[in-house]
Amino acid sequence: MTFTIATSELKQIIRNRSVLISATLIPLGTSALLIFARDAFRDFPAGIGFAVGSMMVSISVLGLYVTAVTTLAARRQTLFLKRLRSTAAGDASILAGLVAPPVVISAIQLAIVLGVLAAVSDGPADPLLLIVSGLLLLALMLALALATAGVTRSPEHAQVTTLPLTLGPIGLAMWIGLTSADSAPILKALLPSGATTQLSINAWNGNAALGENLLLMLPTLGWIAAALIIAKITFHWEPRR
Amino acid sequence: MHPVIEIDRLSVRYGGFWAVRELSLTVAQGELYALLGTNGAGKTSTLESLEGHRPATGGSVRVFGRDPRQRRAVRRRTGIMLQNGGFSPELSALESIELFGSLSGRKDDAARILDVVGLGDRARTAVAQLSGGEQRRLDFATAVWGRPELIILDEPTTGLDVNARDDLWSVVDALRSEGTTFLLTTHYLEEAQQHADRIGLTHGGRLRSEGTVHEITRTLPARISFTLAIGATAPSGAERLPDGGFVIRTAQLQSELHALLEWAADNRVKLQGLEAGSPRLDDVLRSIAKEEDSQPGVSR
Repeated sequence: MTFTIATSELKQIIRNRSVLISATLIPLGTSALLIFARDAFRDFPAGIGFAVGSMMVSISVLGLYVTAVTTLAARRQTLFLKRLRSTAAGDASILAGLVAPPVVISAIQLAIVLGVLAAVSDGPADPLLLIVSGLLLLALMLALALATAGVTRSPEHAQVTTLPLTLGPIGLAMWIGLTSADSAPILKALLPSGATTQLSINAWNGNAALGENLLLMLPTLGWIAAALIIAKITFHWEPRR
Repeated sequence: MHPVIEIDRLSVRYGGFWAVRELSLTVAQGELYALLGTNGAGKTSTLESLEGHRPATGGSVRVFGRDPRQRRAVRRRTGIMLQNGGFSPELSALESIELFGSLSGRKDDAARILDVVGLGDRARTAVAQLSGGEQRRLDFATAVWGRPELIILDEPTTGLDVNARDDLWSVVDALRSEGTTFLLTTHYLEEAQQHADRIGLTHGGRLRSEGTVHEITRTLPARISFTLAIGATAPSGAERLPDGGFVIRTAQLQSELHALLEWAADNRVKLQGLEAGSPRLDDVLRSIAKEEDSQPGVSR
């Protein structure tokens, strides 16, 4: 049932031009510019890692977070969620089916842009860690999307509710990439997506110890758990009466 | 054998507002039960509890002997026509019926179902391009997909033209002949009067009356209504209505009508717009609403 819902959801995303553009063209366009200008980042504290962190955050925020919040709010507003719940499909299957397309779209985009960057530059130093950081970032954005969808009334309202966690992580990725790793490391790691951004930079540049990288995973896991708890409390399947 | 639907003292509350209070009813296999009432009577909340969408504040709801929130077990046997909405404007009618049909856990043929509801030639049309009536027919198609044992219809004919309503009822009648059980809400009381085996009348969240049409309507007197020329004297027993007409309420329709016609002939009075008949469901519903609204201190 999850696959059936996911297939239908993918069709709906593809047929909705504004969602399709914001989920694919904008993050891919941004990534293309960063890859094209990669040599300009070599003197940055994070080096090409700046481009890696920025691309990964842009794709996961725009391709997954914003898309998932917008589509969940839209499906709720049109009572599509209620109709899905009128079938034999369970809640977990329904949610998994609805978020699967933006997750897969984002994962494919990440693979493409990082693959292209790897082909035209040196790196990544630690491909496995890069994959782990990508998966953690996607999991974080998915959990944050579910939590944000709980307080979002409509697709139009999503333009407001997604703003903090769209601009915040993108700005944070730039801050981390443009400043020394010694500058406010705890604050950077504790802000949502800060730790995964640092992790992806470490994975590309290969200049951090294993213990440091493992430590960077903890804040992300904490944010995922907190977001899922908020989602469990706030998420509703029908428009509020 | 369990009844298909068992509702025992169901209560549903939103904040401080009781939408449903202590409502009990059962629906037997093969029966068509119509739950009727005024707006805000608690019909939709009752249906949503039955569908597993709305948790009960009190009481219990069983469908096929199970909690309706056990979706996988109950929904395979239940078709649901929602009151409105729920289709994606980006999908076609065919894609929509295929999606919700396959998720129902029952098997059927999408082209056949669309033909049954008269949407065969609109299969490739996006839902956004369908008229309101066509979307209601698509909704009905999802409910009857795979011939479920129980079909819940929430105001199924709202927005349908006369032909589409007749077509819908012919499908319902055909399924009933195969033993399908129906629970229906509608504001078209004449449809319930014509098709339902039993009727429950709700008002203020409570079930006020239940039975066959005959059992419910016999609680009220029959009525004879007419108007008279200006200045004419009304017969004794006639009650003047606010619109200037007259009504005679009686338990002896035939003899009272005979007496009225004799009086008119003797007095050479023309009875304009003469109508006589048994009470209708809407008379009973109005009577129930009027009775409750006249009782001070009744609150929800």
